[in-house]
Amino acid sequence: MNILEVQNLKKYFATQKAVDDISLEIPKGSIFGLLGPNGAGKTTLIRMITGIFYPDAGEIILKGKKFDPENDAKYIGYMPEERGLYKKMKIGEQALYLARLKGLSRNDAMAKIKDWFKRFEMESWWNKKVEDLSKGMGQKLQFVITVLHEPDLIILDEPFSGLDPVNSNLIKDEIYRLAKNGATVIFSTHRMEQVEEICDKIVLVNKGKKILDGSVQEVKQNFKENLFGIQLEKIPDTINSNAFETIKTNKQELIVKIKEGYKPNDVLGHFINQDINIVSFKEMLPSLNEIFIRLVEGTPSARQFQNIEA
Amino acid sequence: MNKILLIIKREYLTRVRKRTFIIGTILFPVLYLALIFGTGYIAEKSKEDLKVGIIDKSGYFTEELIAKTNVTDTLNKLALIKTPEEVFKTMYDSLGYNGFIVIPQNTSWKEGLDSLSFNTNHTYGIGATVPLERKLNRLWSEVKNDSLGIDATKKQILAKSNISLKINNAKNRDADAGAATVIGYVCGFLMYLILLLYGSQVMMGVTEEKTSRIAEVVVSSVKPFQLMLGKIIGIGMVALTQFLIWIACIFIIYNIGKYSGKEAGAMADTVGTIQKVFTSVHIITVVSCFIFYMLAGFFFYSSLYAAIGSAINEDMREAQSLSFPITMLIIFSIALMTPAISNPSSPIAVWTSIIPFSSPIVMMARIPFGVPNTVPWWQLGLSMALLIAGFMFTTWFAARIYRTGILMYGKKPSWKEMMKWAFRK
Repeated sequence: MNILEVQNLKKYFATQKAVDDISLEIPKGSIFGLLGPNGAGKTTLIRMITGIFYPDAGEIILKGKKFDPENDAKYIGYMPEERGLYKKMKIGEQALYLARLKGLSRNDAMAKIKDWFKRFEMESWWNKKVEDLSKGMGQKLQFVITVLHEPDLIILDEPFSGLDPVNSNLIKDEIYRLAKNGATVIFSTHRMEQVEEICDKIVLVNKGKKILDGSVQEVKQNFKENLFGIQLEKIPDTINSNAFETIKTNKQELIVKIKEGYKPNDVLGHFINQDINIVSFKEMLPSLNEIFIRLVEGTPSARQFQNIEA
Repeated sequence: MNKILLIIKREYLTRVRKRTFIIGTILFPVLYLALIFGTGYIAEKSKEDLKVGIIDKSGYFTEELIAKTNVTDTLNKLALIKTPEEVFKTMYDSLGYNGFIVIPQNTSWKEGLDSLSFNTNHTYGIGATVPLERKLNRLWSEVKNDSLGIDATKKQILAKSNISLKINNAKNRDADAGAATVIGYVCGFLMYLILLLYGSQVMMGVTEEKTSRIAEVVVSSVKPFQLMLGKIIGIGMVALTQFLIWIACIFIIYNIGKYSGKEAGAMADTVGTIQKVFTSVHIITVVSCFIFYMLAGFFFYSSLYAAIGSAINEDMREAQSLSFPITMLIIFSIALMTPAISNPSSPIAVWTSIIPFSSPIVMMARIPFGVPNTVPWWQLGLSMALLIAGFMFTTWFAARIYRTGILMYGKKPSWKEMMKWAFRK
């Protein structure tokens, strides 16, 4: 079942097609990566999903029903890339206020805040102000405020920026835990190594359009170039085979590309026949980073301003 | 709806709990009174007492006459100088005189004494020269009276011939133009200060939410319009609270003074003044109208200030340049107040108290003169209705700028761009 479906969503600004006909589906309980270079339209897309912007065209279906920003706010927890809290307000009161704005009752909100503050060892923060916190502490607080009301859909824009590895892991574990408990996480970033590690499914947007959609494994399979790394006891001086060509030679390792119509076994057979011992053999799948760069490369790195007639 | 209440509550409580609110509430009336009485006191103190020598070549001015004038008018000391002009010129400073006046030889009492020169080393303002001139005229009248043969009895008869005009309002016998003028000024200025101070509080509050980036977190839970309205209403309630505290204080002082008897001098004076005000002006009308115009005027201006606040970034100079036109409207209203008080039924007073932008200040200056005598019911009703329509329009207009501005970072938008935000679909 999909928690969120976006159909042909469009949002044009005066000088840009920020989101230009994007459709996507996010299954319940998944961790979903929304990727794209700077200015691709990620934030605009998220702002429409969170009800901050109205789309110019298209539909947003949340939990099987048409999205109603006013009443569905409680189902969504959003942590914007630019973090923000009231600097002069006491942390406890602030958490309470923001939780109640999501529609929680006072008692309910109080109980949940206590619970989360305990889990994150933040109990002593209650009467402190945000301006007293370090950047990392502020991030933790922001995360807690985002997930406090137990939303079904959690949208995190660059959640790890500015966090040290310890706090990063703390939040990562919380993301896994929340997903296990049935929440869906949309994770917007341009840090590919985190996506590979965490996400089940990804969508890549560029210049307002969706250019890639699928599970991390699927995407990697689709973009593989039949490259294999083979480690040999001794690399022969000349390698001559119809089955593959050598792309690169490292000390002990060859990177080979298998030609059309041949199989990995043909490579292995070639060396076995020559009586060369094989130490290891593995498929070289492209990293998301490489795929990302390959897809985005060639398009102008910065979005150009254009006149939109709509 | 429930969410707006939460926002109002937060805006209200965070402000009322602040120490600056408590200090401001106590200090403001003190400073306000100090300003009123202080300027009066300084004006009184800054009168200059000059010592002026008179070198009389005509022979009209006798020592006796000058001494008599010095008794009746104690400000500025005149003295008849017998030393010749050339000598006195060199030494008046060291003798303690501020200057001297020479009466020409060919002066005739039948002619005027148009233009005499006050010879001095300093430049004096009209604060000093007007009383001196008055005193010299008094002296000159004495000379003329003597020459005309007008004796003391005749002089008394002449002095009694002055006419003083008192207004006898048939409909409202208690009407006191003097008290109404004072209350009109106080109401107008208070309104002006409340609109400016609380208006800029709204602007800064919105900018703070924008620059601290909390706005995006909040508008993912509530509509931008709710956030803006909550802030405006919350701050409006703070202004109302402050005003009601002041009113309550006046009542308490009044009642304490009334029952503690008449022996306390300053207290009795205050009570007397308040009592006079209460009887001469319909105080309930004034206070309830003030509350209405304060809130409606505040909504009118503060929504515009909120729109400006949403458009600017961290730079306070942007705030100044963008809010200038709105601040100008308020300053323009206060400039219109003075003619409205001196003639509360003139067409300019009537119309500026009906047009929404200036009505809170100008109407509040007129109301103490009496409803419905000076301000007919239709004018009050029209003014209120237009102000309500006005603030509904500015709120609608501001909300459209606000929802775009609050999430827009980067360069400062021009007024033209803001208009585009407001009027696109």
